[in-house]
Amino acid sequence: MVIEMSELVVAAHSLNKVYHLGDVKVEVLKNVRLEVTRGEFVAICGPSGSGKTTLLNLISGIDSPTSGKIIVLSEDLTIQDEDFLADFRCNHVGFVFQSYNLVSTLTVAENVAFPMEWSRKSEEEVETHVAELLETLDLQHRENHFPAQLSGGEQQRVAFARALANDPELVLADEPTGNLDAKNGQKIARMLRMLKANGKTVMVATHDPEVMQLADWTACLDDGRLARQSE
Amino acid sequence: MSKAAFPVNDLLRRKLQTSLTVATLTLSVASTLFLLLFSRRIGWEITSVGNTLTYGLSTVFSQFMLFIGVLIFTVGAVITSFIVFLMMKQRTRDFGLIKAAGCPNGLVFGYFMTELFMITFLGCVLGVALGFVADFAVNSIFPFQAYQQMADLWLAPLIFAVFSGLAFVFGAKPMLDAARLSPIKALSHVQYYGLTTGNKFKPLSRFGLTLRIASRSLFRRQSASVRIVILLSIVFVMLTVAISGGVIANDTSRAWIENAVGTDVVVIAHKSMRNQYIQLLTKFAGAKEKTDFNYLDADLVVSDMLLQQLISMPEIEIIDARLIMKAHVQEVSNFTIDPETLTTLPVGDNREGESLIVGVDPQNIISSWSIKGRFLSATKTDEAIIGDSISQMMFSPDPHEGITLSDPLVQGIKLQNGSFSIVGVCVDPINNGKVTYVSIEKLQNLTGVSIANIALVKLDPSAERPSILAQIINEVTKVNSDFSVFELNGVLQENLDFLGAAWSTVMLLPLFTLTSAVLCLIGYTLLAVDEQRQEFAILRAIGTKSETVIVILGLQSVILLLSSFAIGISLGVIITLMILMPQPIVTSFTVVEIAAWLFAALAGMFFLSLWPAVKIAKKSISQIMS
Repeated sequence: MVIEMSELVVAAHSLNKVYHLGDVKVEVLKNVRLEVTRGEFVAICGPSGSGKTTLLNLISGIDSPTSGKIIVLSEDLTIQDEDFLADFRCNHVGFVFQSYNLVSTLTVAENVAFPMEWSRKSEEEVETHVAELLETLDLQHRENHFPAQLSGGEQQRVAFARALANDPELVLADEPTGNLDAKNGQKIARMLRMLKANGKTVMVATHDPEVMQLADWTACLDDGRLARQSE
Repeated sequence: MSKAAFPVNDLLRRKLQTSLTVATLTLSVASTLFLLLFSRRIGWEITSVGNTLTYGLSTVFSQFMLFIGVLIFTVGAVITSFIVFLMMKQRTRDFGLIKAAGCPNGLVFGYFMTELFMITFLGCVLGVALGFVADFAVNSIFPFQAYQQMADLWLAPLIFAVFSGLAFVFGAKPMLDAARLSPIKALSHVQYYGLTTGNKFKPLSRFGLTLRIASRSLFRRQSASVRIVILLSIVFVMLTVAISGGVIANDTSRAWIENAVGTDVVVIAHKSMRNQYIQLLTKFAGAKEKTDFNYLDADLVVSDMLLQQLISMPEIEIIDARLIMKAHVQEVSNFTIDPETLTTLPVGDNREGESLIVGVDPQNIISSWSIKGRFLSATKTDEAIIGDSISQMMFSPDPHEGITLSDPLVQGIKLQNGSFSIVGVCVDPINNGKVTYVSIEKLQNLTGVSIANIALVKLDPSAERPSILAQIINEVTKVNSDFSVFELNGVLQENLDFLGAAWSTVMLLPLFTLTSAVLCLIGYTLLAVDEQRQEFAILRAIGTKSETVIVILGLQSVILLLSSFAIGISLGVIITLMILMPQPIVTSFTVVEIAAWLFAALAGMFFLSLWPAVKIAKKSISQIMS
């Protein structure tokens, strides 16, 4: 099947990532090849330490590969500087971290507003969109609370709201239900379903069967090597 | 792991923080010790050991040094407490971790107290050594070599004990607090840094958001932030006093000397008298005059004919013919009435001493001294002005001798058979302020010597100098070839250079403390980086540029520095103008100079404090996160 370049949201070729821990060389990703088209929902599975987080970090431009190429939304991330990558993440990629990673000095509303303010949206736009997102995620009553005053499930929902703030084309989520109980996990799964229904391109690193069920296909990482498992 | 191995490994693992704490402690101890050693050599005991500087200038120096000394000691104590507090505060989380792992409270406390002991011991030992080295180095190059004494070795254990004690008290406090917490609380960031409350959401600009993160982080670290503001405020008080006090005192004392010696003044005298006069003037800077000099030698007489010829020259503004001699003088006591008991009280006694006596014509005098009291009257010949050193030696209260009241301005001075009422006390470098000015007419009557032995000539500043000097030399050598013409500007400059060097050295003192304060500020920024590390990684991961980290930390430094600057400058200016310097000379240039120095110090501190911020901003997101 020939895929139009404009339809390709993520394309990784011969991707390698090596960490040096003192004298020890750790090959986290080995010759990874991956293509994700617009609107696809991809689950990335694999045991702990298999390189799931590293792969998402490389796709978002948070980290750079040791060798190989990553093209996201037609931009070759391996040749871009830090400033470009920062703008790119802010405007085109929403990232949900496993450990929520909210800014502890900002309130819930400020955390959600932050990427919009950074991409210079108007005050009215920011105010309206923050209110919408908080309402959708049932967080409006927590608007002025700080992250330390929220439960894990609430923090993860805030993290989702922040990731969606700039209406990104690509949403990456790193084990979003990993730290949550079943009830909160279901809420997150519903949110991912909603993203899929809205035609977003989503890549989720997960072990959660409920989330995996949503995937169009699953990519499995084992010892740094990626295999496409199912359609 | 052995009990000793853990603290050693822990300190080595945190190389940057450990070395920063040791360096700050070292500088703090060193600056305090150096100040004590240095001031014992030149400062507080300057009048008792020295033969240079007049008493008035020594007093200004002494007050200045004493105040700076108190501030340096205070800053040293605050810095020491702050840096160990900071170091141990950062261990609170480790304390919780080790306790959570099952280690008994006493053992964890022991680990961290051992660390504290090692840091304190190392910092204090290095500080004492550096203090002595600095004192030796400055003493070797400083112009006050006349005062060299053995360094006071007893100061070393004193400083060591005081600073070690402070470090232990303030370093142990966060550990004692942590020991009282449950492991879960010790591990919690909320417990560690405190929590602020949120305001109603309102969209902000990029800068507004950055400012909000910066200011909330400052509040979260409330206890450390308050301490650094107190510390920096005291540092800025000290800097203001040192810089503005130093600059004003330097300018004012220079003006005193300039006015007393006179600018564009030419000395006309016999060669030996000329040499003696120069020695008397530069005694201020450490020179020694000829003690067996015969001031009344007939060869020294400045003839009337010469004076008449000089008067006829239009480029000469003033001819100040003087009769100079050394003489034995005696204090003349007086009485005052106690307003409460209406009894008479004696003022002064009949103390004796040696003074340089200068007979002048009050209507033709080139000097315009800084005077407490007033100038000699043109009509009354029985008045005297004394130098500030004579005033201190012979006219100040001396409880050991039972003299409780003494005031030169209500007393007199006796010279040979004549008595003079003292109308003023002046600052004059000649003979180091041990000088008495009287009417030349009265002095001539008393001594029976109806001549002048030196003439000071003030030239018109607009006159063409080389030609007028050549004319004067010509006239003088025609009358007496043993006479010479000598410009005093060189001598004046020598005195001013000496004074400038003394002030420069004194103003170097706060540099040590300033460096320690900068290290403390860097330590505080490291604490901020440590606490906000995760936050910075998140901010960058969601799309802010790496400069944002520098802006956040920079804003925190600006808030801390400006609030301390405002407090420090206000107090410093008040102290300088009201306490340290009587009748200060403050020109607009002085204000600009002071402002430039202070803002340079502020800017320097700010930029240096950004070093940890630049360091973390250069790291990749994954490096920060790990």
